[in-house]
Formats: sequence, structure tokens, C-alpha cells
Amino acid sequence: MPNRPNQTTLERQYARLGILLIAPTVVVFSAVIVYPLLAAIYLSLFSIYTPTLQGEFVGIDNYVKLLSGKLFWQSLGVTLTWTVGTLTLQVIFGVAMALLLNRSFWFRSLARSLVLFPYFLSTVVAVLVWRWLFNDLYGALNHILMRVGVIDMPLDWLGSMPNAMIGIILVGAWKYFPFVVIAVLARLQTIPEHLYEAAKIDGAGPIARFFDVTLPQLRSVLTVIILLRAIWDFKEFDLIYLLTGGGPVTSTQTLALLVYKEAFSLNQMGQAAAYAVAMMLVMLVFMVVYIRRTGTKET
Amino acid sequence: MPLLRKAALSLFVWIVVLLVSFPLIWMVITSVKPQTELFRIPPTWLPETVTFEHYWTLLSETPFLLYFRNSVILSTATTIFVVALATLGAYSLVRFRYRGRETLAMLVLFTYLLPSVVLIIPLYLMMVSLGLSNTLISLVLAYTTFALPYALWLMRSFMEGVPPDLEAAAMVDGASRMGAFRDIIFPQLLPGIISTALFTFILAWNEYLYALVLVNSDSSRPLTTGVMSMLISAFNIEWSLLMAASVMMSVPLIIIFAFLQSYLTSGFGGGAVKG
Repeated sequence: MPNRPNQTTLERQYARLGILLIAPTVVVFSAVIVYPLLAAIYLSLFSIYTPTLQGEFVGIDNYVKLLSGKLFWQSLGVTLTWTVGTLTLQVIFGVAMALLLNRSFWFRSLARSLVLFPYFLSTVVAVLVWRWLFNDLYGALNHILMRVGVIDMPLDWLGSMPNAMIGIILVGAWKYFPFVVIAVLARLQTIPEHLYEAAKIDGAGPIARFFDVTLPQLRSVLTVIILLRAIWDFKEFDLIYLLTGGGPVTSTQTLALLVYKEAFSLNQMGQAAAYAVAMMLVMLVFMVVYIRRTGTKET
Repeated sequence: MPLLRKAALSLFVWIVVLLVSFPLIWMVITSVKPQTELFRIPPTWLPETVTFEHYWTLLSETPFLLYFRNSVILSTATTIFVVALATLGAYSLVRFRYRGRETLAMLVLFTYLLPSVVLIIPLYLMMVSLGLSNTLISLVLAYTTFALPYALWLMRSFMEGVPPDLEAAAMVDGASRMGAFRDIIFPQLLPGIISTALFTFILAWNEYLYALVLVNSDSSRPLTTGVMSMLISAFNIEWSLLMAASVMMSVPLIIIFAFLQSYLTSGFGGGAVKG
């Protein structure tokens, strides 16, 4: 459509106004996002010492080190374990909770608010609360588990494996499952009642109704939720960094933590940039799938 | 539904809800327990004595209020900056036709999903060379990197919800394009703007990584890194003090939840998830 020869003066004027309106966004966008993004790729070809910011061009050395070393692959494995673990719990609990909250019961809107709250809570607050719950001596969690008889001795939750991985997966699920609840709940309210009536007449019990009516209706929204949450969980930094710092040793060190540590503890900025670019390339697969889905939806 | 069945269902759902909320309830309970009661084994589930001394200590003896002030300034500035840009930008992306419009929209979506750690290294170098490190301005700029794509994406879907006919009708009546925007579209868009502003504010209020890397002085530290540094610097971790800080830090969120929650849910329907 743009620049058709028979474009009217008014259309051209409007196009100019449209560009004028988007211009501030484009300028800010280029300065704080596009430029840094390109700079990250450029920096990954250098060896830079963080405190002095001095360095030299090393070509693809950083990438060779990345591919031949163990660190990147190990962190990728940790990231995938964390993502799959926490995402599975988020989806299962999220859908179950949405089904419950969709029923009619007393003080429903208050219950919904309480369930949604953790999602909007600062990760710092969530982590402080959970670290206190996980406390090996005075923590409420160990006490409850011992009282119920699941364990005999207090567990060291964040300092040993596999407890630390289970710990971050649990806290991640608790913090982010409300996202699934909100999205699924909104979709549930649009499923026509007559589908359930028809299934009832056909003699379908509650479980059959869930698998034959509810689940197919939720399919498209669940795909989007899973893609989006997979991307967000994959790049999660705050929650893991603050809960375990990647430890014990490097057992919970995801790619995001690896980049941070390389740049600001080991002071190897160029190598860190290479890790970051590689991480982005892995994520690109999910991103393209998501963008294509959303893109086709719109047109 | 018979009353008994509804009662049973209510009881069951509420038990689940309270289990999910237990960490938060525990946070509030811990914050009002005296220090001596904290280290009881087994823990007291309800405080024997209720005290607000930790809140008092927090406000009078720690830099908490300074951090709080920084967070308020930072989040407000980010919100105003980002929402103003996003409102005009979304209007342009949805209602105007020009070359590169679609590409730009796709780029926005792409950056909306971009991990912060990719941008943090160049941004750090950029702030150092501009002499902006350790300032609130550096954080406002850094927060723009995730808040702007988010706000644009959200505003875009709110904008799509405003019927184009309204604008056309106003222009037939002789209004200019920007006049129609101001008088017709803006009022229609206001709930969407409020929703976007709330989301942006919460995102900025909760941000941690950029604050950790870009700011290293108490005078411009926001709450997130400030409270964590209180945890690390303390010789004995004072859990009741930290729980009081957590409660205080969540106050803006509680206010939003109590009075403006419908805007949050509409934002979810609009932009955060589609499909």
C-alpha cells in the first residue's frame, strides 16, 4: 500500500502524522534496545576485563570456548530441568485452580484475589518469605513435614541437591501459576454451557466432560500460555539468583546466572556476552514459534 | 445447587486457597512476633504477643524509607515516560498506514520476549560511559528496555478495541486527526491506559537485576536491592525485620489489589495472553 502513485494528499499527510507519533518510540527503542542488542553481539567477539573495560579483539574464540567447555552445556541442562519442572507444575496447578475458582462458592472474588496475589508480588518478597519457610532450624516447612511424618529430620532445602532444584521449582510454581489461572479462568467463562448439557445428556461424567469438552476448548489458550511461560521461565534470573545463587556449587546455575557471574564476578565481559548471545539463540526457537502464532492470529 | 453441597465445595476451595496463601499469611504473622518468640521449636502458629516494634525499627533505624522513596520516584518516572510513549506509539501502529509498520510491531513483540541478561552488559557499559551509573536516571532508562515493549504491546490491543467509526464520525464533524484523538479516542482508551500504567508500575517496582548491576550506592538504591542488602549485611539474619520489610514493600500492591484490581484483569485479557 505505501507510496502508491495515486495516494491522495490526505493519505500522505496521515502517513506523515503516523510516523511523527511513532518517532519518539523508535528513537528510545533504538537507543536502549536495538543498539545494546547489536553491541552485545559485537562485544562477544572481544576479550574484556570488566573493572578496566580494556580488551582486545579475539574473533570467535569466546564461542569456541563456549562450545568446547562444559559450563555452557551444564547450564543449559540446568535451565531446561528448571523450565520443564516449574512449567509442568504451573500448568497442572493453574488449570486445576482455575477449574475450582470457576465453580460457584462463598466469597469467590476474595479467593480469586488471594490466589492471584503471588504473581504480582515482588520476587524479592517471595524469595525472602520462602527462605524463611525453608529455614532448616526454625522454618515452618520442615516443621510441618516432620509433624505430618513425611520426613524424620529437618531437610537442608537450599544447600544440597536435589533439594535445591526442587526448592526453586516449587517457589517458581507458586509464584507463576496464577498467570495460568487468570488466563484459563478467562477462557473457561466463554465455553458455552450447552456443550456441557449435551455431554451430560450423552451420559458423560465429570472427568469425561473435562477431557471431552473443557480440555479441547482450552487447547489454544494453553498453547499460548505454555509458549509464553516457557520463554519467561527459561530466562528467569531474580528468583533463582536470590534463592540459591546458582548453588550448591553450580547445580542450579541457569544460563541467565552464568552470564551474570561471568560478567560481574569473573569479570570476563566478552565471554559473558557470548554466553548471552548463545542463550538468546536457544530462546529464538520458542520466540519464533510464539511470534508466528500471535502474528497469524492478528491478520 | 443444594446449600450443603455449596458449603462443602466452599470449605474445600477455601482450604486450598489458604494453603496457597500460607507463605503470605506466615509473612504477616512473623512480622508481628517478638524476636524471642521467633526461635521457638515448635513455632507458635499464632503470635502469643503482637508487636509492631519491627516496623518501628525498620522505619527509624534502617535506610528503608530512603529505598522506598527511590522506588516511588523510579517507578513513577518509568511509568509516565513509558505510558506516554506507548499511547502515542500504539495509536500510530494501529490507526495509520506507512512503510515498516508491520516490521516494527514484530520487533516490539520480539523485544518483549528478550532476556534482560543479553542487554545488561552493553547497558552497563553505556551508563558508565555516559557517567550515569549509580543514578536513578540510569535505572529509568534500563527499565524502559522491558517496560516499553510490554506497554506498547498492551496498549496496541487496547487500541484495537476502540471502534474506528468513532474517530471517522468526529472527523466528518470537522475535527482534526489529533483533535479526534484527544476528544474521542483518549477517553475511550483511558481504562486501557490505567491498566497499562498499573502493570508498568508493578514491573518497575519489582525489578531486581538492573538495580543490582547499575546502582551501587544507598542514595539511589531501590527497595528490591536495598532490602536484599539488608539481609546480606546483617550479622544475624533478623527474620522478623525482613518480614516487616516484605509487608511494607508490598503495600502499593495491596492498595492496587484492593481498589484497582479490575484494571489488572482487563490487562490480562487484553495483551498479556491472546488466543
